[in-house]
Amino acid sequence: MVGLSEGEKEFIKGGIAQDLRSDGRKRYTYRPIYVETGVIPQANGSARVRLGATDVIASVKAELGKPSALQPDKGKVAIFIDCSPTAEPTFEGRGGEELSAELSGALQRCLLGSKSGAGAGIDLSSLIVVEGKVCWDLYIDGLVISSDGNLLDALGAAIKAALSNTGIPSVHVAAGASNDEQPEVDISDEEFLQFDTSGVPVIVTLTKVGKHYIVDATSEEESQMSSAVSISINRQGHICGMTKRGGSGIDPSVILDMISVANFVSRQLIEKLDSEISAAEANEEES
Amino acid sequence: MAAKPGTASTTYSPVDPTHKTKPSIFTDSDWVRPDSRGFHQCRPAFFRTGAVNSASGSAYAEFGNTKVIVSVFGPRESKKAMMYSDIGRLNCNVSYTTFATPVRGQGSDNKEFSSMLHKALEGAIILESFPKTTVDVFALVLESGGSDLPVVISCASLALADAGIMMYDLVTSVSVSCLGKNLLIDPILEEESCQDGSLMIACMPSHYEVTQLTVTGELSAPNLSEAMQLCLDACAKLAQIMRSCLKEAASAAEE
Repeated sequence: MVGLSEGEKEFIKGGIAQDLRSDGRKRYTYRPIYVETGVIPQANGSARVRLGATDVIASVKAELGKPSALQPDKGKVAIFIDCSPTAEPTFEGRGGEELSAELSGALQRCLLGSKSGAGAGIDLSSLIVVEGKVCWDLYIDGLVISSDGNLLDALGAAIKAALSNTGIPSVHVAAGASNDEQPEVDISDEEFLQFDTSGVPVIVTLTKVGKHYIVDATSEEESQMSSAVSISINRQGHICGMTKRGGSGIDPSVILDMISVANFVSRQLIEKLDSEISAAEANEEES
Repeated sequence: MAAKPGTASTTYSPVDPTHKTKPSIFTDSDWVRPDSRGFHQCRPAFFRTGAVNSASGSAYAEFGNTKVIVSVFGPRESKKAMMYSDIGRLNCNVSYTTFATPVRGQGSDNKEFSSMLHKALEGAIILESFPKTTVDVFALVLESGGSDLPVVISCASLALADAGIMMYDLVTSVSVSCLGKNLLIDPILEEESCQDGSLMIACMPSHYEVTQLTVTGELSAPNLSEAMQLCLDACAKLAQIMRSCLKEAASAAEE
């Protein structure tokens, strides 16, 4: 990203204080979101989300595996984000590793909930095939192609779209397998079960610049931020995860205020995203 | 390692670690915590500075079964490969010993602990006071008994104070677990494994500012504000304990 002059920095901060950002948006307005699903035919589900100039792809692959001994009635989900050097030359080699780890951790926290399974966006018990022996392992991979700020929100939206596009093949278990042996499973090529994504939350990142917060910051605005809070809210308005990013401290009352703003913004975002996803699915079926 | 039922017990057979503890017992209204603490009571904290002689500053913290040692090296010259920077750099690393967890070598969540420790501390350190140099903070969790990251953060800020690094304020950290309707402060390992949601806050008590905040699982809005208030009060009390530990160490050094 090109450096900003002092004048440009003052322009950005002053604009945000007056509720008019550099691209004409208000503080709580998102950039136009474009969703395409089914972009990767080899994967069980995939989606591409464009949020202004930010471009991310999420793909979901399901493979049969063995459930962990501590939770034999649940499947497993692994989320991994990769920042490609096409987005920023500094991401080449190990440069993007720190950002990838931060994004993967934040997404895992938001989508997988706590260890007892409460608050999880994805219902892990629906991934079980034979309790204690066979379950589905979902590998969710995100790829950042172009970065212009607000990567976490775009990745959250892409994963939600990819999951609603995911078809898990139905499995027939051979009857009569004894308790100790691995049962024989027959993966069908024809029938698919659509994944239920009504519980998957969206992530809203509020970036604090000066005394005000904005939603969906571009990378220029992010460079001027003092701190950012990413809040994951589901359809019922419950908070499923929250992470603070960025250096300086925030007053606790500001955090509570951010939560109420995020609640308000998330409702519009969920509606917009749902309509975009269903439009994308309809498009995909036609083509 | 699982015990085989029915074999003659002439050989040592440990308790099956995968026995299912039903989480429903924790939502009983008259349930008492395993170590008989109140729901809003933290474990007794033990701090000692100067644990590692060769480091610029170090601290050892013990909260019940969670034992952490942190050593701080620096300010030291930055590696030649790094770019010039007119503010100081902070490098944090959190690692688990292999014997820290009940199952050997299972410190699995600690990959992001290093970056979370970094974020919690960077708001408090006056980086302009040591330009062109790096301060290294190395945390080692000797035993993991629950609430690991908050203990690591508090211990690290004590170690930084012991090393004489200039800071705006001590950083204290506390986590709150939500089990059913109850909010438990400073959860232990068993409580953490069946929690419904958790909130971890790292703050600077005198400035009343939050430097790091994470929420996992599901927390409703009233629970969230109550949990935040609990954490902030506990952080203030913890800061007083840390300050008295530093004063003792300083007066002991004078004698």
